[in-house]
Amino acid sequence: MELFLQTLIDGALIGGLIIVVGVGFSLCFGVMHIVDFAVGEWVMLGAYTAYWLVRYLGQDPMIYLPLIFALFFAAGWLIYPLIYRAVSGRRHHPALMGLVFTFGLSTLAKGGALSAWGYHVRSVSTWLSGQSVSLGVTTLPALRLAGFVFGVLTTVLFMIFLYGTRLGVSIRATAQDRETAALLGVDVRRVGALVYATYAGLTGMTGVLIGALFSIHAAMGAKYVIFAFFVVVLAGMGYVPGVIVAGLLLGLIQSFVGVYISGRYTLFALFLLMYVSLLVAPRGILRRGL
Amino acid sequence: MTTPAAEVQSPARSAAPRLTLGALLAAALLLLPFTVSSFWIRIATEVLLWAGLAQSWNIIGGYTGYLSFGHGAFFGLGAYVTGIGMTVLGWPFAAGLVVSGVLAAALAAAIGYPTLRLRGAYFAIATWAFGEMLRQVATVLEVTGGAFGMRLPAFLNLPFFYYVTLGTSALVYLTTYLLLERSPFGYKLLAIREHEEAAEMVGVNTVAVKVNAFALSAFFPGVLGGIYAYWLTYIHPDSVLGGIITDLMVVMVFLGGMGTFWGPLLGAFLVQLVSRSLWLVWGESTLYLVIIGAAICVVVLFMPGGIVGLLEGRRAPLLAPRAAWRWWRERVRW
Amino acid sequence: MKPLRWWAICWFAGVLALVTVGAAGLVAAQQAAEYKVGVVTSLSGELAFGGNVTKRGYDLWAETLNKAGGVLIGGKRYKVRLIYADDQSTPATAAVAGERLITQEKVDVILGPYASGTTLALAPITEKYRVPHITGSAESPLIWKGKFKYTFGTIPTVTIIAQASIQTLAQDVSPKPQTIAILGIDDAFSKFAAEAFRTAAQRFGIKVLRFDIVPEGSDYTPAVSAAKALNPDIFAMGSHEKAAIEMIKAAKELKFNPKAFVQHYGMTTPDFRKGLGKDAEYVFGTSVWTPNLNYQAKILFKTPREYAAAFKARFGSDPDYTEAASTAAGIAFQEALRAINAAPPLTQAQKDALIGALERLDLMTFYGPIKFATSGDYYHDNAGLQPIALQYQGGVTVEVGPGKLRLKAPRYPTPPWDKR
Repeated sequence: MELFLQTLIDGALIGGLIIVVGVGFSLCFGVMHIVDFAVGEWVMLGAYTAYWLVRYLGQDPMIYLPLIFALFFAAGWLIYPLIYRAVSGRRHHPALMGLVFTFGLSTLAKGGALSAWGYHVRSVSTWLSGQSVSLGVTTLPALRLAGFVFGVLTTVLFMIFLYGTRLGVSIRATAQDRETAALLGVDVRRVGALVYATYAGLTGMTGVLIGALFSIHAAMGAKYVIFAFFVVVLAGMGYVPGVIVAGLLLGLIQSFVGVYISGRYTLFALFLLMYVSLLVAPRGILRRGL
Repeated sequence: MTTPAAEVQSPARSAAPRLTLGALLAAALLLLPFTVSSFWIRIATEVLLWAGLAQSWNIIGGYTGYLSFGHGAFFGLGAYVTGIGMTVLGWPFAAGLVVSGVLAAALAAAIGYPTLRLRGAYFAIATWAFGEMLRQVATVLEVTGGAFGMRLPAFLNLPFFYYVTLGTSALVYLTTYLLLERSPFGYKLLAIREHEEAAEMVGVNTVAVKVNAFALSAFFPGVLGGIYAYWLTYIHPDSVLGGIITDLMVVMVFLGGMGTFWGPLLGAFLVQLVSRSLWLVWGESTLYLVIIGAAICVVVLFMPGGIVGLLEGRRAPLLAPRAAWRWWRERVRW
Repeated sequence: MKPLRWWAICWFAGVLALVTVGAAGLVAAQQAAEYKVGVVTSLSGELAFGGNVTKRGYDLWAETLNKAGGVLIGGKRYKVRLIYADDQSTPATAAVAGERLITQEKVDVILGPYASGTTLALAPITEKYRVPHITGSAESPLIWKGKFKYTFGTIPTVTIIAQASIQTLAQDVSPKPQTIAILGIDDAFSKFAAEAFRTAAQRFGIKVLRFDIVPEGSDYTPAVSAAKALNPDIFAMGSHEKAAIEMIKAAKELKFNPKAFVQHYGMTTPDFRKGLGKDAEYVFGTSVWTPNLNYQAKILFKTPREYAAAFKARFGSDPDYTEAASTAAGIAFQEALRAINAAPPLTQAQKDALIGALERLDLMTFYGPIKFATSGDYYHDNAGLQPIALQYQGGVTVEVGPGKLRLKAPRYPTPPWDKR
């Protein structure tokens, strides 16, 4: 029972962080039909930015979160015109163009990070690192709890923005029907830029927490591509609320398979579930995706 | 700068140089092992292997319009089937290759039937998930050696592997030419790519055609995987089932030109030769990753038709000797 | 199919040929009276960290030897030149790299890669061209079971090394630990390490409560939680540096506090210490070489301490056993070359004679004795070295066993996280 509760908590907490990566990723797909291969590289760059900020300016990495959001928002805004060019126009496969383009970006970022910052494994620690809260028989790691709270908070704020503001409505409208939204006066291109920039900002910010929890190196982003794909597939592509369910599910599968079966089957279980879920319910387990 | 339509050559006029070129190319490929050092034979074998893989992917990705992101699975399956066949079951190499190809095609047909109902990014992600799943299976199983990898008996005859790869890859191109460029099957695939519902309405059995195309595009990677395993004598889930195998196939076809006959060949030559050249010159640096990444981005942005698009494009006639000469004469006076 | 314009093809082929030939021309080999030593190792890709570990070891050997004038053959000194070829952490490229070094650069001997997978792809190539090949790092039993005639290694296999810390814990501390939980990462090296922990635990009568293998890059909380629930005396992990760091972080967060943490490999790297700081304290690990060992040698470096000092002066960090073993691989070549009096460039007969010389080698170096096994499961492996158990005490690794190798007593049991 003790182990069961602990496993539940472990899974839910890591799921919280994955949700943030998934929300932006899912929206990118919904609004612009971009499957961003470089999602892991945003995480990696976020983590490295935090590392260098701490290295040269000191202080706790957590206080740089807003700054990193701003930086990555700007970076996303600047890169967006290129991505827009890649996925639009009279080309054979817009989705493939975006995928290949972001694959190029991902290779570029990985190679750049490796060339510039070397192969060493870096770590940052925050005032929460290694702390934990005891709750009955279970232990809640403070940093993971903070990550979870951060994830849920970001997602809720983001949903309020999406469902409660005029801009949010136009984003959702664009996701549902690009042409009609454009006809009704939505500046589709600007909405796209906004979504992509927000996604880059959110993912970069998550990178700080991920970097503090795990370790920082050029290839650290690879597994977040897997997680992001998993989350949007189960959530239904482009359906933001589903991301919460799918993210938690991902965390729970990881921890329960790891504890009760064997860690070596976790990835297999994830891919199997992803594949089967696409065959059985391509619009996501909640059947609300695009 | 645009060329008048009248300048586009008639088939009769251009057939002779093309035939000569083809004959020269064939002779060069056949005689290559006698002229260059073994290092370059190895590089050439790699290039041919990738040319075959890229064209195989092109069958489903380019001609049919279904972007399979798990095609490396068939390559890895072939490698492991040949490996297990030769080491555990004591098969000869040739038997291993045939079984590898057949099993890869059978697996493709089996998963293609449900998976090919998905479209676009959904199909891409589903095949990707399937490919990664297979890698996990190979890591977990005992018979594959798991993470320890698998050693095959060593037969280190470079020209042998060169010719086997050349033969298989040539077969891929021949099959593509006969089945996809010169038969009704190819038109059906094209119809599916351009408008699947319309194709179905005019009586194309889309399900059967798609499954056939998928199986065909998986058969050759299976065979090539078997060759690769015996050639390298050591295989590992990450080296034959890793995502990079699929990624490279896609990138090569894409750079060469999607859905074109020559695109995969040009793409494979370009990617493999340039990346090996970079590796030769900057052997100790990791900058080659940056260059490859940047090159992919530039191609997407500025030449979406790939090399074939470039060579056939608006400015391509300028590459012709006569037109180039005229262009030069118009601008330079002396 | 639109027929491609033939001249367009010509242009394309011409440009491509120019690039390739240009690249080939740029790296054209030059001749000089020196030994050409090819190095195939991972300078990019997944294993770049480890590849650079071997590179530091090889570089230090070549630089020190050349500063001393080179190898003395028949009254004349010949320098060595290292020619690197990156294997990009993939077996396929390792094979191409070997082929290139041997047939293009015409190297006399080869120093091998960091990892076992790339070594297993390279070994058949060196076998085919009959070029001597010593790896200063790869240690998978699969290599030695392959009985490659031209491949040697200076590090004992992981199955031997990993046992030392378990042995120390079983014999040298009280109360003797009764139970162990073992975690391994799903790569060849780490899995062998985990299995070696299990074998050792069974041999010394420690009960294995849990044995699990997880993929690289997992979140380690499930594994830690599962182990914590069993409350083992020892938690042992076979992994590389990244996983080692992340696992300790997860253990601290979950307040998992077994009486001893054992890690191999990774705890001896500077990244582990820098990344974990105080939390690295009390962690056990294993090694086959440390600067504190009492070897007296005559070649290049007289003592382990001298080597460590030279290393620190050159690279600004402390050497690890893999770096020492890589340097020792170079020394093995140098001494074998002297033994057969072969001046560069080596003929094929001399290369074959070099294999004989390497097999007969019985050498004392700063790294310890080098004597390659010539039969059995450790064929051509320098299997005779005594593995050492290490523990972090006061920010440095100290030798705590087994038996008389102990310089300081192992600190056991590990205190709670907040008291370190």
